[in-house]
Amino acid sequence: MLVKVRSVAYVGLVPVPVEVEVDVAAQGFPGMTVVGLAGKAVEEARERVKTAINNSGMDFPPKKITVNLAPADLPKDGGAYDLPIAVGILMASGQIQISNDKFTNGIYYGELSLDGSLRATKGVLLVGLYAKQKSPVPNHKPQIYVPIESANEAAVVEGINVFPVRNLKELADHLNEVKLIEPLNHLDVEEMVEGSPVDFDLAEVAGQEQAKRALTIAAAGGHNLLMWGPPGTGKTMLARAMPGILPPLSPAEALEVTRIYSVAGLLETGESLMRRRPFRSPHHGISAAGMVGGGTNPLPGEVSLAHLGVLFLDEMAEFPRSVLEGLRQPMEDGRVGIVRAAAHVEYPASFSLVAAVNPCPCGYLGHPHKECKCTEKQIRKYRARMSGPILDRIDLHVNVPMVEIEKLQITNDKSQNASSKEIRDKVVAVRKMQEKRFLEEGIFTNSQMRNKQVKKFGQLDAETGRLLRLAVEKFDLSARAYFRLIKVARTIADLAGEENIRTRHMAEALQYKQIT
Amino acid sequence: MGYTIFVIRKVRPEDRLWPKKIGNLGRGAPKQLWYGGKWGDRLFEKCAAVVGSRRMTEYGRRVLEKLVPMLVNGGWTIVSGMMYGTDQYAHRLTMDCGGKTVGVLGYGIKYQGIMNDDLGFMNMIIDSGGLILSEWEDQAGTLWTFPMRDRIMAALAQEIYVTEAAIKSGALITAEWGKKLGRKVWAVPGPITSRVSEGTNKIITEGWATMWVPEMEDQKAPGRLSDSNNTDIYSLLQNETLKIDEIARKLSMQVAEVGSRLTMMQMTGEVEEKNGKYYLPVNRQRAPDK
Repeated sequence: MLVKVRSVAYVGLVPVPVEVEVDVAAQGFPGMTVVGLAGKAVEEARERVKTAINNSGMDFPPKKITVNLAPADLPKDGGAYDLPIAVGILMASGQIQISNDKFTNGIYYGELSLDGSLRATKGVLLVGLYAKQKSPVPNHKPQIYVPIESANEAAVVEGINVFPVRNLKELADHLNEVKLIEPLNHLDVEEMVEGSPVDFDLAEVAGQEQAKRALTIAAAGGHNLLMWGPPGTGKTMLARAMPGILPPLSPAEALEVTRIYSVAGLLETGESLMRRRPFRSPHHGISAAGMVGGGTNPLPGEVSLAHLGVLFLDEMAEFPRSVLEGLRQPMEDGRVGIVRAAAHVEYPASFSLVAAVNPCPCGYLGHPHKECKCTEKQIRKYRARMSGPILDRIDLHVNVPMVEIEKLQITNDKSQNASSKEIRDKVVAVRKMQEKRFLEEGIFTNSQMRNKQVKKFGQLDAETGRLLRLAVEKFDLSARAYFRLIKVARTIADLAGEENIRTRHMAEALQYKQIT
Repeated sequence: MGYTIFVIRKVRPEDRLWPKKIGNLGRGAPKQLWYGGKWGDRLFEKCAAVVGSRRMTEYGRRVLEKLVPMLVNGGWTIVSGMMYGTDQYAHRLTMDCGGKTVGVLGYGIKYQGIMNDDLGFMNMIIDSGGLILSEWEDQAGTLWTFPMRDRIMAALAQEIYVTEAAIKSGALITAEWGKKLGRKVWAVPGPITSRVSEGTNKIITEGWATMWVPEMEDQKAPGRLSDSNNTDIYSLLQNETLKIDEIARKLSMQVAEVGSRLTMMQMTGEVEEKNGKYYLPVNRQRAPDK
């Protein structure tokens, strides 16, 4: 008897329907074959399925079983086909008999344990989203059967029934209408996104007023930021505070981020949504594939995991050049394409880059007490490592000097520090202004302006223009730096709530020019 | 690279150009000098050596910015050792001030291992009317060649200025040669916490180097150097170099505003910035010259 069961695979973030065809032949030598470009994990499903069925108090039919995963040319891997295969076998051998219309056409997805229970499986959110798109039966809600531990992921999708399955036996009872499984309640994304707390509050960072200001500008205008400073001055703390001053994730954005984390299997068990902007801080030993994504069936890399959040590169000069080069495409397009033999996938990768570097290899150049042990040549070599394309895409450069604590205590009252919440409100307002300004331009922030748009939205009055020309001459700035400065000045003017860029805005923007 | 290799000539003790002061070295005098550039008759008439650590600190840099322009104004030729750090910065400042400078190499003038950067720098010195000197033709730079070079610098100069030196350093060797040859040795005192000021402080304490401090007159009255109303920032920076955060805190102002004003002051040359610290340029700290 032949049975077809629906399941889902995904290429990158795109779900693809997979039909699991199970045939239990009336005659033939007992055994089980799986065809349809099955990877190693799918091949091994035979043993898992067989044992799981036996251990659930049901019978694995001693007959010739053929499993086909269609479409045949799509490579399939992972344990998620265990469940549809098992359900197919049970249906084909008559142990599950679906008499109720309601339960036909469910989508099955999940990895089996040998005892018949289901294990947490990645990508469940994508299954939910796919089910919502493609509802086969007009009168019934689409339904998915997924492992109970991962089921919460799909609960945020509206208009589907998510059945959390604990083990095979329960599922059989449910489908045979012996004992029904309750579908999960829908979780409201909007409610969940609201009131997500802030990890790191900027008010906790002592001193570093200019760096905080730069962080605010970066968040408000979507600019990338590079911090220069010796070790231990709070660069990492500042970077960690960045997600907290960015506008909160919108429900759509939260789903987008969650999709990536679901595919990467990085959602915590039982967690249903990424409610906060991600903060990724890869170590400089990372490979190019780790940064942009890779693998035979490419998984998202750090740039995609930082999507809509912050990618923090500590000690940027220590990253291999090839890794930094890989950042160019995502920084330009907000997405990254990965080409491998098995698949060509695209992942979103629109992040705010925050980088930190020491001023010299030993780190103590310009330190008030410690002596720098580097020669000029070493310093030049060190800085040359990051020159070029990436530096060109960083709008804000700021010094984060060593703070002398005695001086701070005298002059700095901690309660005067603006909290992340206050800064975030300001950032949100400025982002709204930008959205309005760029309504017809297809961009959202000042940093995304092309040169043509800079000319249109970043007009300078005579005096400001003169200041910028003088600065270009005095500091020997490139044409690219020229446009970057106008973009930053635009954001500063926005923060001040002014329509036009004034001289003082440009003068402040010049504070954040590239440090050579 | 875009520069040309300079023409190399040689002088011997019997030549008219041979600097007589080299004779002070007696039997230790070099047998010949190779040189590139134009050897003016009066180049060594009034000649000061400025030496210091390769690991020039921020302090050392500021000292040079005070010292070298004064010497150049006084009509001195500046001799130094062409090394990175203090030496090259002294050469550079001399050229910037329109003075003549002589670089004495610690290796042969035709040595194949000279770095491209250094070659370019030598060409700059020669183009500015200065001189590149060495007693060797193609000797590689090694441990013993640099101290040998130091004796020539000391011999060529009437006065020797040590800006920064560790206890064991080439700069101190130059100073010691100067002492032996009866040259006037100046040393710039430095922070007692800095390793590269230990040597200078030591030779001042020992008494054979004179402490060099710039003339103090008129520091208090810079006059109206600023046509804007930046006098608050200005008077803060008269006492010390400050970071922008510190200025903002001391004046209880928003860092955004301070930043904007500091940029304007930078544009008019009222302040200068280096590694995130702001200070008054040297010519602003002293009274209007003459």
